[in-house]
Formats: sequence, structure tokens, C-alpha cells
Amino acid sequence: MNKIKQVGLARVLTGMVLGLMFGVALVPYIMGVRNSSPLVCLLCAALGGAAGAATLPFADDGKSLLLRSGIHLAVTASLFGLLMAQLGAEGVELLVWEAILALLYAVVWLGRWIGWYVEVIQLRTLLGLSPGPSPLKWRETLPYLPFVLFLCNGLPLLMRWADHAVSADVPVLSGLILPYLLLPVGGFCSGLSLGKRQGVCPLYPTACLVCYLPMVFLLFNRTALFHSVMAALPALLGNVMGWMYRRAVPKRGAER
Amino acid sequence: MEVEIRLEPGRQEPKVVIFAGGESEELLRLAESLRSLALGPIPVSRGEEKLLLPQEDFLRFYTDGKGVSAQTAQETYAVRLRLYELETALDNRRFVRISNGEIINLDRVTAIDLSLSGTICMTLDGTVRSYVSRRYVKKIKATLNLGRRNNHEQD
Repeated sequence: MNKIKQVGLARVLTGMVLGLMFGVALVPYIMGVRNSSPLVCLLCAALGGAAGAATLPFADDGKSLLLRSGIHLAVTASLFGLLMAQLGAEGVELLVWEAILALLYAVVWLGRWIGWYVEVIQLRTLLGLSPGPSPLKWRETLPYLPFVLFLCNGLPLLMRWADHAVSADVPVLSGLILPYLLLPVGGFCSGLSLGKRQGVCPLYPTACLVCYLPMVFLLFNRTALFHSVMAALPALLGNVMGWMYRRAVPKRGAER
Repeated sequence: MEVEIRLEPGRQEPKVVIFAGGESEELLRLAESLRSLALGPIPVSRGEEKLLLPQEDFLRFYTDGKGVSAQTAQETYAVRLRLYELETALDNRRFVRISNGEIINLDRVTAIDLSLSGTICMTLDGTVRSYVSRRYVKKIKATLNLGRRNNHEQD
């Protein structure tokens, strides 16, 4: 057994012991019961083990890292879901707990990525190259922000005003045209344009989602939350397709 | 220290002779650093033709299905040496191993990019893409730091 595997095994075992201790000592206190059930203790130990192995998927890179991280997330989410269900969470509450876990994962991933990015900056500096794009390409995304504000804030205001102005029984513009045509087409085309110029910019679809949220509660109600997704998802799709186009074009003339 | 260069037309690899009054630690260090420069040409083949190409011509050395290949800006050659043998034959301030199957010329790197999944891509001469294994990043930084320190010492 090599050193990496030994360290990994030690972390998993430490995590399992800490998880078991948590299950035995703290869960009854939190839940206001006398003892934890054996299944809860087992799930706590397994979840502790999974948390101990959390750094292992990041040891590699590329496809291997994505695969290992995906498997680790699936295992952790399953264990966590089972544990929360055992502790009484159900329905929406369970989904909220899973969403918090996913958010935690995203934060950890971002932290790792920033570490890699700093390494790349060091390499660029040592090689005398230009500093390269900003973290998560936020600076490169900024020129598209006015369009996002127009698409996700200006347009809904305009559509809603037009619906009121014509006193229509059915708000065709804001209820149908906007979410099913204008938001997807606008998001996709702008994402495609950005992807072709700058590659994958993860903050762009996020900006679409976040910028639309105030409009949901200002102009509509929470049933219109899907409007945000109708802008963000096509923006992500367009951005990825633009990046793929950008990658495919230079390949035609490139040598290996 | 007095430095003298004598040109000898036809010589393939430079030879350095150090004249000194006695042996010292500094002298041994100088000899070691000169030896590590490994400036000799690399034997490659193109079909039946055998060639000796200067190190600065190469962009990278990589393993493919058949063996080791060497790529220059113009074309790709076959190399009889293994990658670990090339590591000792090449100038260790210019060439560095970036993955199990590839050695690149750091002087020819024109861009470095990072993907969302943490893959580091190095572009050589603006066209050739090589992928860095995370395990080798420390070694690359050490090589670059060594080169930079030596450059400062020369300044």
C-alpha cells in the first residue's frame, strides 16, 4: 500500500470514528431523545468516513477528478439524505438539506479551483507570460452585464407594463412570450456570443439567474421562479456551445 | 574568473576544460552545474534518415502508441531514447516532464490555461497543446525557480 492510500485510509477511519462519536453523543442531545438508533449511528459513521475521504477526489485532474467528485457527491448525498430522513426530515425540508450539502460542495470546489488558479498564475509569472483571464472570468463577463440587466430586468418591466397598458385578460407578453421565447432566445444567443469570445464563463448564467430573481417577486410571485431558470439554463447552454465552437475552430489548423 | 571560448567548426557537443590551482568545493560545484547543462544534440530519425538536432529546436518529446516521438515546429521525428533517458540527456533548465508521457521545452510555452475541472493546458508555439498532470506542477515550478535564480545570479 503506497503512502497516499495509507493517508487516505487513515482519514476515512478518523472520519468514521468522529462520525460515530457524533452519532452516539450529540444526535440524542440535538434530537431530544435518550439514545440514537443503531442505524443513525451507522449512517453518522459512514458520513464521517465519506467526509474524511473528501480531499481524495481532488488528487487527480480532468475527467478522473470529475468522475471521482461525482461519485463522492452521490455517495455523500445519499448517506446524508438517509440520515436526515432518519432524523425526521421529509419532503421540502429534505430537499433543502440536500441543497445546503450541494452548496457546500460548490464552495469546496471553488476553493480548490482558486488554489489551482493561483498555481497557474505562478507558472505564468515564472514563464514571463501575460497574467491571463481573471478568476472565473468575471472581468471578461462584465461587458455582457448591461445586456443581462436589459434581458432580465428591463424586458420584464416593459412586458408587464405593456400587458397592463392593453388591459389584456391573459398576460400574453409577460406570461408567455417573455418566459418561453424572449428569455431563452436572449439567454442562449448572448451566452453563445460570450462563449465564442471568452470560453466558459460560469458567472454569466449565474448573473442571469440572480438578476431575474427580484423581478419574480416584484412583478409576479413565487410561481414565476422558473422564469429565472428559463434565462439561466439557455445562457449556460449557449455559453458551453460557444466554447465548444471556439475549441473546434482552431483545431482544424492545429498540429499534434 | 576568466572565460575563454574557442570555436571548433564541426564539433557536435561543446567541451569545457577548467584550469585551476587546486581542488575546491566551488570548483566541484561549477563542474557539476556545467555537467548538468546537457547541451548536446539529440539523435532522432525520420524514416531511414538519422539526424542530430539541437535541443532548442524541440517543442516536446512524448510517448505515443509506437514509442517516443520528438516534435519540432516543422515536423515530428522518432526517438530511440526512452523518456527517462531523455530527461538526463536534455538541459534540465529548459526541458521538464509535465506528465508520465511528455517532456516539454519551457522556452516554447506561449500560453497556459486552466479548465474548470483543474486541467492545466500548455500551448507550445501557439499551436501545440500539452496537458500538465497535477503531480508534476511542483517539479515544473522548481525547474522554473531554478532557471530564474540562475538568471539573477548571472545578472
